Amino acid sequence: MERLCFSFARTMPLAYISHLDMMRLFLRALRRSNLPLAYSQGYNPHPRLTLALPLPVGVTASEELGEIFFAEAVSPEDFISILGSQLPASLELTGAGRLSPESTSLAARVCAALYRVFVSDEPDRGTQYLLLRGALDKLMSREEILMERKSKKKKITFINVRPYILKAEIIYKEGRPLELSLLLKAGSSGGVSPFFIIEQLKMEAGSGLMDASSWHVHREKLYTGQNGSLQPLPERM
Amino acid sequence: MSVDLMKLKEILAMVQKPARYLGNEWNACLKDHREAGMRMVFAFPDLYEVGMSNQGLKILYESVNSRPGMLMERVFAPAADMEDLMREKGLPLFALESREPLSRFDVIGFSLQYELSYTNVLNMLDLAGIPLYHHKRSETDPLIIGGGPCSFNPEPLAPFFDLFVIGESEEFLPVLLDTMTELRMENPGKKELLARLSGLDGVYVPSLYEPVYDQGLLAGMEKLDPRAPGTIRKHYVSDLDCAPYPTAPVVPYIQTVHDRAVVELFRGCGRGCRFCQAGYIFRPVRRRSSENIVSTARELIAGTGYDEISLSSLSSTDYPGLDALICELDNSLSDGRVKCSLPSLRLDSYSVSLADRVHRGRRSSLTFAPEAATERLRKVIKKNISEKDIFTAVADAVEAGWQGFKFYFMVGLPTETVEDVEAIVSLCRRLRQHFKQQAGRALKISVSVSTFVPKAHTPFQWEPQLPLAEVIERQQLLRRGFGKIAGFDFSWHEAGASLLEAVFARGDRTLAPLLERAWQLGCRFDGWSEHFSFDLWQKAFRELEIEPGRYAYRRFNYDDYLPWDHLDCGVDKELLIREHREALAR
Repeated sequence: MERLCFSFARTMPLAYISHLDMMRLFLRALRRSNLPLAYSQGYNPHPRLTLALPLPVGVTASEELGEIFFAEAVSPEDFISILGSQLPASLELTGAGRLSPESTSLAARVCAALYRVFVSDEPDRGTQYLLLRGALDKLMSREEILMERKSKKKKITFINVRPYILKAEIIYKEGRPLELSLLLKAGSSGGVSPFFIIEQLKMEAGSGLMDASSWHVHREKLYTGQNGSLQPLPERM
Repeated sequence: MSVDLMKLKEILAMVQKPARYLGNEWNACLKDHREAGMRMVFAFPDLYEVGMSNQGLKILYESVNSRPGMLMERVFAPAADMEDLMREKGLPLFALESREPLSRFDVIGFSLQYELSYTNVLNMLDLAGIPLYHHKRSETDPLIIGGGPCSFNPEPLAPFFDLFVIGESEEFLPVLLDTMTELRMENPGKKELLARLSGLDGVYVPSLYEPVYDQGLLAGMEKLDPRAPGTIRKHYVSDLDCAPYPTAPVVPYIQTVHDRAVVELFRGCGRGCRFCQAGYIFRPVRRRSSENIVSTARELIAGTGYDEISLSSLSSTDYPGLDALICELDNSLSDGRVKCSLPSLRLDSYSVSLADRVHRGRRSSLTFAPEAATERLRKVIKKNISEKDIFTAVADAVEAGWQGFKFYFMVGLPTETVEDVEAIVSLCRRLRQHFKQQAGRALKISVSVSTFVPKAHTPFQWEPQLPLAEVIERQQLLRRGFGKIAGFDFSWHEAGASLLEAVFARGDRTLAPLLERAWQLGCRFDGWSEHFSFDLWQKAFRELEIEPGRYAYRRFNYDDYLPWDHLDCGVDKELLIREHREALAR
């Protein structure tokens, strides 16, 4: 049994497909590549592939993570070249490495993600910057940012996502697009989507002031580790 | 100049399923436009997910793109949200591969699968900025051509099209495109080009024929050019093993209706069910050899990465030696990790045993189509299965572990009585009672009832459709019947939509303005119950003073001129008359 982790970048136009579509895409590419897939046990065996932290539709990414099991040894180099030749141009394998079959899944250890939000310059950069600055200051000074959540029984509860915003910065420099950088808690122990934060910023700015429909969201990196001591991933590639 | 990517991105962020409009899928073919003498777009007048499930598209895409000097790209009907944004931003309809506007291509070929997609055809032409009527188009506009089952009666669409290809076109389409390239070198002008093309077998140029009416009824077709043939003979492939077939079809990113590899076992069907147009227009039956099926399947899986392969045809269990074939496929397809599936099962023990073999572990529900619930009516439509066959097939399926069944029936079949309709409820009830003990619990039975639509080139082409009010009455009878018994999932087709389908299936050129008016009023995606608006259609009928019943409810006589009489699908009218008489004698 061989276990590999790998990182990949997703660019336009593939950003427009869903997580399920991504899984299907990888599985079909793997089957075309004839790599020796390992299958799960049970009545309906399926290949053992995990993609950490589903990417939302429309979001591009630099360094996403996946994990896969093979029935026979496959070197990380072969994996990249063989699978890479079966992937569309806007999906690129950027690294791969061996994982011991016993270690905790990387996907399960992801606890934060860094997003870059490219803010439109309309009507002009200065105005956009000031609007965004004001909205962000107001948002960050709040003690509670409540997000609605539906339980499986359709019961509605609210959680405070303010602690999930680990860092928020505006990058406003000559010669660079106006950018909002967000480090957000993510993963199975709780997290918040960048789109929810953008929605909140719009509300803080006053409805109609900021048009976020043309903003582009990019996921730069995923992190593991405890609060305060984030480890960038992938660790061993 | 292709469509501006920035403008497109802005729109894509606002629509549902943007991947419908992206192209760039695995195996998509982007050829150099400068090296192609003939550039064609395959236009499918329904959503991407539906069109990408169409095997005809994949076959023709392969047959054209594998040839030098020509190319084929794809376009599908944009959903309502995309259409609104395209109109708002002034974005023309574009082909997925190159993002070139449709108006810049040489040929746009519409796939005509279903009458209720006709308004989408007009809408797509309009979104492409191409005039709807052929006589309003200029020399530089693309040629608008059509093919597929509905081109066996294309008359309601005739004024919008330059040319129809009648029959199977995987071998003929490249020949047609090559001929166009050659003829165009002489600069003959569109009219002359079409007249010369009309000499090719299977080519129907509607503008070369003038319908003759007698007291408002179609009496014949007058040829306007001596080169046009009196009757147009359909094309068909004589040997499936030699015809082009895609082993590396485009693999969509998003889930489509039929999201799997498809290998065609045979074309045509020897059963001869009298209501079934496919059973007549795809004659004769032609088999693909089992060696060819196995090698095609192997290449398909290697070329696509699919984990399921559908063994398709109109009646797959009729393939001789299907048992052995499935064994061979199981052995040769990646260690049994690839599943086979069988569409269109017959109601017999053999079919159930095969389904049991191929569906290992995926036992959801089995679908059967008895079509009629009494033995008499099944004999009328030539669906020759007995009630005993039905009970035996279900018994075998229950034995094999299936607990869910789906049954397809029709109402409004010729000679049908209220008793025949009531028999649908009683048959389903008896099935459930009978197998309750065997299954250990009640079977889940869903029943879907459609309305009979008489189709061209079938023995029932002379028959009227059952009037709308009576269809609704019979549907209500069924609803009441199934409502009394818990545990049945009963669904039926919108009666108004079936009426419309009959109008266009049996109609002639007088319907073209109606189609245009309905489209102007906003009719789109008429085959989708959530989009279909019978009110809008009725408005269009009223405005143009057209009585739908004149088309749908008319009983043709054997010596009446039918709107499709100039198209020859290879079946003698005498045979159809014989079959029709025999049906009515039951």
